[in-house]
Amino acid sequence: MTPAWTILSAFAGAVLVLLLPARMAVTSRFIALGASLVGVVAAASSCWDRLNNPLGPVWSFDHPWISALGIRFHLAADGLSLTLLLLTGLVAVAGVLFSWNVERRPRAFFAFFMTIIGGVYGVFLSRDAFLLFVCYEIVILPKYMLIAIWGSTNKEYGAMKLTMYSIGSSALILIGLVVAYAAAGGTSFDITYLASVHYSPSLQSWAFPILFLGFAVLAGIWPFHTWAPTGHVAAPTAASMLLAGVVMKLGAYGALCVALPLFPQGFHQWQPVIAGLAVMGIVYGALTALSQKDLKFVIGYSSVSHMGFVLLGLAAGTTWGLRGAVLQMISHGIIAGLLFGIAGRVVYERTHTRDLTDLQKFDLWRTLPGAAVGFTLATAASMGLPGFSGFVAEISVAIGLWQFSPWLMPAVAFGIIVTGAFSLRALHKAFFPVRNATDAKAPALPCLTWPEISAITLLMAVSLSIGLYPKPWITLIDDGLRSPLFQSILSQP
Amino acid sequence: MNYSALLKQLLPEAVLVITALVLLGVAVAVEAKSRKAISHRAALWIAASGVVLAGVALWGVPVTGDGGTALIVMDPLARLFKAVVLALGLLAVMLPPARREIAQPGEFYALILFALTGLLLTTGTNHLLFLFVALELASLSLYLLAGFSRTARSGEASLKYFLFGGVSAAFLLFGLSLIYGFSHAATLTGVATALGAGPPSSLAVTGLVMVVVGLGFKLAAAPFHYWAPDVYQGAPATTVALVAAASKAVGMVVLVRFLMIGFHGAAGSAAWGGVIAGWSLWMAVLAALSMVLGNVLALAQTSVRRLLAYSAVANTGYLLVALSAHGESAAGAALFYVIVYGLATLGALAVTAAVERDCGDDAPTSFAGLVHRAPWQAVALLIFLTSLAGIPPLAGFVGKFALFSTAMAESTHGGSPGLTWLVGLAAIMSAISLYYYLSILKQAFVRGGPDGEPSACEAAPLSIAHALAVGVPAVTLVVLGLFPALLLDPITAAVMDSLVMR
Repeated sequence: MTPAWTILSAFAGAVLVLLLPARMAVTSRFIALGASLVGVVAAASSCWDRLNNPLGPVWSFDHPWISALGIRFHLAADGLSLTLLLLTGLVAVAGVLFSWNVERRPRAFFAFFMTIIGGVYGVFLSRDAFLLFVCYEIVILPKYMLIAIWGSTNKEYGAMKLTMYSIGSSALILIGLVVAYAAAGGTSFDITYLASVHYSPSLQSWAFPILFLGFAVLAGIWPFHTWAPTGHVAAPTAASMLLAGVVMKLGAYGALCVALPLFPQGFHQWQPVIAGLAVMGIVYGALTALSQKDLKFVIGYSSVSHMGFVLLGLAAGTTWGLRGAVLQMISHGIIAGLLFGIAGRVVYERTHTRDLTDLQKFDLWRTLPGAAVGFTLATAASMGLPGFSGFVAEISVAIGLWQFSPWLMPAVAFGIIVTGAFSLRALHKAFFPVRNATDAKAPALPCLTWPEISAITLLMAVSLSIGLYPKPWITLIDDGLRSPLFQSILSQP
Repeated sequence: MNYSALLKQLLPEAVLVITALVLLGVAVAVEAKSRKAISHRAALWIAASGVVLAGVALWGVPVTGDGGTALIVMDPLARLFKAVVLALGLLAVMLPPARREIAQPGEFYALILFALTGLLLTTGTNHLLFLFVALELASLSLYLLAGFSRTARSGEASLKYFLFGGVSAAFLLFGLSLIYGFSHAATLTGVATALGAGPPSSLAVTGLVMVVVGLGFKLAAAPFHYWAPDVYQGAPATTVALVAAASKAVGMVVLVRFLMIGFHGAAGSAAWGGVIAGWSLWMAVLAALSMVLGNVLALAQTSVRRLLAYSAVANTGYLLVALSAHGESAAGAALFYVIVYGLATLGALAVTAAVERDCGDDAPTSFAGLVHRAPWQAVALLIFLTSLAGIPPLAGFVGKFALFSTAMAESTHGGSPGLTWLVGLAAIMSAISLYYYLSILKQAFVRGGPDGEPSACEAAPLSIAHALAVGVPAVTLVVLGLFPALLLDPITAAVMDSLVMR
């Protein structure tokens, strides 16, 4: 199966779900699951092919589209894209499983869900800046609808805030892309072509921050991260998983594969600033998470902190740094999906509260042991304990940072310590409360259902497998990093 | 040019006029016989078939030279945009005109046909005087059409439109006479030749400023937009659709012809750090004003029609950004966008008209629960408003992207920042516009419904004509969004053929 099946299956799923008659609305979840499975199988088999044939030509599809502007419908899948496709597929399957109980307007729900997935696949596969931007923006409206219709806690505000941040950052990206297009002669939007042009240093010095910031806002760069926690908390479970798991990665991917290669000199000029903001994000996100009362807010701010590592890896600009950034994207995608799934679906749907103090009276480790085990493991992975994906990613970023600027290490170390503190605090309060014999008996809660168990197992297994045997992932990522796009960044001293 | 050739070229206009006269005759005959006005439906379909016939007639008109007079021009641009005007006019005719039935459907639709005739003639001329006469034929019909709703608002709209329009026509005519005064030519090519001799005289500059004021009014560019909100709110939906879609497209064609043929040599530049006095700079200033004013004021509207009026102002701003870049491909992108914009606004008006009929007013809250009440209307509204906001995969997105990228490409040379300031402003303003479009969509998709507040609105099924006015633009926007080359390539080719100085 070629990687094109990922996009096709997602959009086909969205259309099929919409075409269902009203009385068969319940079937929509099976269609969504089927479409997601096709996507994940296509991604996995493409990864497998690439691993077995690492030196062969990458899969690509190139067709003229809007010739008046030099726009082509150009998809291609190197190792880097393939790993991210696989991540998207996994989170999509888990997201559908965690949304198994959506009763309200399920057709529209799964149609919006699959549209987001399709857009995300499209971004990871695009090799034309226009196509990438199209796929990037396709995601915006379904995000709004998912949160505003099916969300909780201040949903319309959270949805609008997230949407305005997204569209605002898209405007910056548009400006950056159009500037590059015009300066390159106004003939082509092909990313490789745009990256091969040498822009004047003065243009790079002001165009790079515009383009980079546009992408970085979606990656949750401090201080433009505030949409993330509010949006994640307001969103329904599946949307939180998608937002934190893959949509934030769109920003990081765009920064890595568009902003950096287009304006490498601008990047070198702004490198220290990005690194500084990334470290601020790590520390600030962790400290804020430490003082949250709502379990989802804890995870939301932890996402900001973890995405700080991605940006830090990018800022380092070395092979280790970029590799670590991509690994962290994948690792955080899996772990955030898992944490939001358990907190939003498994726990909240049963207890109807996410308040850490209120959760204590449910004594969750006795009443919901499956969730407690899953959340504990996910927390361990999130803290970056060896054996989980987070460790591999953070250690790579740390090596990259060491090569770039060792002086930032103490701040990052502090951030890692605080991450441990807030993770343990949330875990302890939510799942392992201190209880006295006099306390009222905790109410019995329904057991985990099969979709929940399979989603948790799937994501957990992937995180563990990356942690224990990261070699295939690193091979694929390095395959992508060998592309001519990154040579101007990696070759610099 | 002999008369038979002239008739051949003007066949579409002739068909429209004949249909209008037939319609008036039929209306009088019916009224004399049955003491009742002609039925609204009959008048609508007679007018619609007239427009379709005119389109068929246009099909047979070949692209020909103007024989040196520049009075009736049938270049590729004129031919293309005559077709566009007829298509947009046909869709506008399909709209239900008002909440209450209008009293004289015969006269109403005959006036629409006259307005379309004026618009067609305006599209195809490079002659200053003929341009003015044709434009006034269209405008006078539109002033009348704005007042047909028999409400106080409609009367106000008509009067305001007439007063503002009269003043702007005076400006336009005065400007044209000044231009004639300095160039001793009544054709755009003659003006270009006169200009080419040296730096533009103050007479020419004054004349051009006045023409820009006059056309700025037609396009609802800020600060000449004050009539727009009241007309959009008070006039019958059909009239608003004509003003917003067909009339704006024609206004763009005229402006493009004027600036890029007649005043080709007096463009100047609005580039950052390289400003040269000329119309490019004026366009940039008007564009910036229109985008900022339109978008900011639209944020505060509580009537969807008024919101669409301010969105019209903002969208004129985006169009002027492209003109400011002064290049053929940017002009092509602007002409593409004006069509796409017209379709989206027309469709949004059609859905608004349905909501007004069902709920009594056009407040955003009347849209609450639309997705439950009338799912297809809600989906169409989603397409129209997201296209206006510039969200892919709809034509509005491609249009804006083409506008911005061509404007940048035409204005930057060798790494200079060029029009980045203006394009940047446009991109950010366009992002802001999503807020108010989304606030309507929020009502339609999020609020209301079975588990929301109960709604007083009952959705009655749409008439065939009304459904076409909703459905055709929606499908077109999706198709053009996925395959923009279908329209963008012909427009670019037509612009290259018609505007490049020969």
